Amino acid sequence: MAHATATTAETKPWGGGRSPFNVSYGKMMMWFFLLSDAFTFGAFLISYGTKRFFSAVWPDPNHVFHAFPFMGHMDLPLVFVSLMTFILIASSVTMVLAVHAGHYGDRNGVIKWMLWTIIGGIAFLACQAWEWTHLSHLTGGLWGTFTDGDAPKAIYEAYYNTASDAWAAATPAELASSTHNFYNFFFTITGFHGFHVLSGVAFLVLILINTVNGTYDNRGHYEMVEKVGLYWHFVDLVWVFVFTCFYLL
Amino acid sequence: MSHGHNSNDPQALYEGDQSKLYSGVMNHHSDIKSEESRKQIGRIRWVLILLSLVTIAEVGLGLAFAYYYPDVLPRPLLNTIFLVLTLVKAGYIVSVFMHLGDEVKSFFWMVLMPLLLFVWFIIAFLADGNFWLFMNASTPIR
Repeated sequence: MAHATATTAETKPWGGGRSPFNVSYGKMMMWFFLLSDAFTFGAFLISYGTKRFFSAVWPDPNHVFHAFPFMGHMDLPLVFVSLMTFILIASSVTMVLAVHAGHYGDRNGVIKWMLWTIIGGIAFLACQAWEWTHLSHLTGGLWGTFTDGDAPKAIYEAYYNTASDAWAAATPAELASSTHNFYNFFFTITGFHGFHVLSGVAFLVLILINTVNGTYDNRGHYEMVEKVGLYWHFVDLVWVFVFTCFYLL
Repeated sequence: MSHGHNSNDPQALYEGDQSKLYSGVMNHHSDIKSEESRKQIGRIRWVLILLSLVTIAEVGLGLAFAYYYPDVLPRPLLNTIFLVLTLVKAGYIVSVFMHLGDEVKSFFWMVLMPLLLFVWFIIAFLADGNFWLFMNASTPIR
């Protein structure tokens, strides 16, 4: 039965008897879910931007994120987060190779590339755990730090560009409020993204077990790998925007 | 309609396992070492290199013009460059990695059109934040 699509193509796209979008129900619903998730992340990032536009002064990412594991006090702005970004992009590539192998029914290829993807996801989570730990040691906690509006200006020096006019004009109360907001948004948004990575790894492990058990060979196709792949690429896509909003802008 | 689990009859598949009907496994894709397959892997590799280079460029620009020499490039221009490069990366991830570029056009637009809401979303909220800040401003800001 090599002419399945030829048979169904005789009807009009919206005439019934076939999907007008030429995709299965499951895959379309995955796209709908990702669309709704995009709005969740978008709302998070836009509220971060609103708070930032609200504020007279804002922490400088080049000063906040400048540490690297085992490098002591060396000043390495943005280097560690670049490594994290590269890990996630690489895991996205191994995922797309797994999907590709699935298209050809190559079970061993799917297993190999999904294992690499899982390793990449775990490596990213490990990096994030290190970064959170490091920041919480610096600031004394995760959420809810910097609540004292009377604290001296000196305690904020490490997080700001102290050469700027905004820093010179900022009051201790403004600095407390901005630093507080910055860290709360940072942990909320990277935490929400990290939780997506964590659940993504869990899905990948489940699909890998099914692949090893031959479930998809029996079914005749590897579309589950494709659907989980969509989710995984979306997590990478969100990171591209988180990276820009928190570390570059 | 008892065609069994692995039936390849389109009508049975439409009422049962649609995934098989639309995943393309029934009309092509036999050899992963084929010319077509290699071409696709080459395309994926090219996108990996491109995404890595764009990220390196972003970090390089950030270090050069936001950290070491902040007075050389106006900040709004730098931010615009960052946003354009971000959209370039997002475009490649969605169209090549997520294969949205290979879907039928109506599906492609059905996914992308709702995102136009973001145009209003971003402008409205950032403008509101900005207005609030300048409403009572008496000191140099940002």
